[in-house]
Amino acid sequence: MKQEAVTDESLREFLLGKLIYHEQERIECEFLTDSEARQRILAVEQDLIEDYFEESLATADRERFLLVYGRTAEQRRKLKITKSIKDWAITQAGLPQTTLAGIPAWGRVRAWFRARPAAVPIAVTVAITFIVIAVLLNLRIEQRNKRRSAIEQELAQLNSPSSLSEVPLRMTSLDLSPMTVRSAAEQTKISPGVEIQIVELRLPWIQKQRYSKYQAEVRRVVDDESFTIRNLQAEGNGQSLIRVRLPVRLLRRGDYKIQLHGTNIDGSTSPPEEYRFAVTG
Amino acid sequence: MARDSAIPPDSFEEILAWLNPDRELAGQMYVQLRHDLAKLFIWGRCADPEGLTDEVFDRVAKKVHEVRPTYIGDPRLYFRAVARNLIKENFKKIKTHLSFEDVDQSLQQISETEDDIEDMEECLHSCLGELRADKLELILGYYAKQRQAKIDHRNELARRFGISVETLRVRVFRIRACLEDCIERCLHSKAHRK
Repeated sequence: MKQEAVTDESLREFLLGKLIYHEQERIECEFLTDSEARQRILAVEQDLIEDYFEESLATADRERFLLVYGRTAEQRRKLKITKSIKDWAITQAGLPQTTLAGIPAWGRVRAWFRARPAAVPIAVTVAITFIVIAVLLNLRIEQRNKRRSAIEQELAQLNSPSSLSEVPLRMTSLDLSPMTVRSAAEQTKISPGVEIQIVELRLPWIQKQRYSKYQAEVRRVVDDESFTIRNLQAEGNGQSLIRVRLPVRLLRRGDYKIQLHGTNIDGSTSPPEEYRFAVTG
Repeated sequence: MARDSAIPPDSFEEILAWLNPDRELAGQMYVQLRHDLAKLFIWGRCADPEGLTDEVFDRVAKKVHEVRPTYIGDPRLYFRAVARNLIKENFKKIKTHLSFEDVDQSLQQISETEDDIEDMEECLHSCLGELRADKLELILGYYAKQRQAKIDHRNELARRFGISVETLRVRVFRIRACLEDCIERCLHSKAHRK
C-alpha cells in the first residue's frame, strides 16, 4: 500500500464496516487500482476470517463479521470451505507422522502430469521400455535358474555315493591341492579330449576336523557362473579325500575355483578350503 | 437483477478500450474488475453481489460513450463510484435489515447431512492432492497453529522460507484462494451429479 497510514488494523475496521467514509473510499480506490494493496486487503480479510473461526473476535466485531460474511447461503458455504481447510491443517499438525493423511498419492501424481501434459508421452514411453526390459530380464533370470537347477540335479546324481562307486570308461581323474598348501607350482590344467566325458577331481581335506557331509561350489572365475554339489562324502582311511565329478560339456575354457565346506548335522559349516584349476584346449 | 436492454451494442468494446488499449490486457482487467466490484458489494453488506456487479456494468455501458472522452483518471474509479451509488440505493430499498441474530442463527442451523460432510471431505482431499508439495507444506504450516501460538509459528515459517511474514500471508492467501475455487467446483459438480 502506497500510503503508510493504512495499517492492518484500519483494514480490519474497513472490512467490518467501522471506518468513516473518507477512509473507506481511499481503501476501496486502492483495492481497485493497486494490485499490491488488493493482495494485502485480501490477506487481512483472511486473518479476520481465521479469527472468527478461532472465536477470538470481540462480540461486536463478531456480529459485524456475520453481517458481512454470513448473510447468504453462498457466503456461509464459502466460510465452511475455509473452515474445512483450517481444520484439516490443524488435524494434520496434531498427527505424529509426517505423511499427509487422506491425500491420495495418485492424486498428486495425476496433478503433476496435468500441469505438464508434454511429459505424458515421454512417461508412457519410459514406462513401456521399463516393462519390456523387466519382462526380458525376468525371462532370462528364469531360464538361467532353470538351467542351473537342471545342472545341479545332474551333478547331484553324478556325485551320489552309488555313482561314485562306479568308474565310467570315458573319465579322467585329477588331483588338486588346496590353495593353502600350494607352493608356486603351476596351476593344474585340464585339457579334455573328445573321448573324455567326465572329469573327476580329487580334493584332499587337510583340516583336522572331519565332517559327515561336504559341499563343493564350482565357480568359473571370469563370469562368476557357479554350481553347487551337496552331500559329498569323504573317503579313504583317514577320511581325507573328497571326489567331485563334473561333466566335460559343462566346462569351458578358463580358470575355475572350487570352494569346499564341511557340513555338520546342525547345518553349520567349516571354513572353506579352496582349490583351483584351469580348462585349456 | 434484470438486465437493461437499452445498452448500446458496441458499449462492451468501448468499456474494454477504456480499461486498456491492449485488448488482451483489457480483458484481464475486466475480469478482475468484476471480481473486485463483487467484493465491494460483499463488504457493503449487499445480498446479491454478482447481480449488482452486472448492474454496474450495465449502467456504465449506457454512459460510456459520453463519459469516456472527458473522464480523467483511472476508469476503474468511475466504476467504483457507480458501485457506491448502488450500495446506497440498495440500503434505501431494503426496508427490513437482516439482524445479527438472524444471520448467526442461520449460520448455526445449517443442517449438514452425512453426504454433505463426506462430499466436503472428498473434495478437500482431492483438491489438496492437486497442490504441489511445496504449496501443500506451506498451507499446512501456515494453518497448523491457532490463536497466540500461530504468530510465533508463522514468524518461524517465514524465516524458514526466507520471506517476510507479509509475503507469506499473501502467498498463502493465493494458495487458499485456488484451493477454495477447486473445492467449490468439485462440490458443484457433485451436486450436479445427484
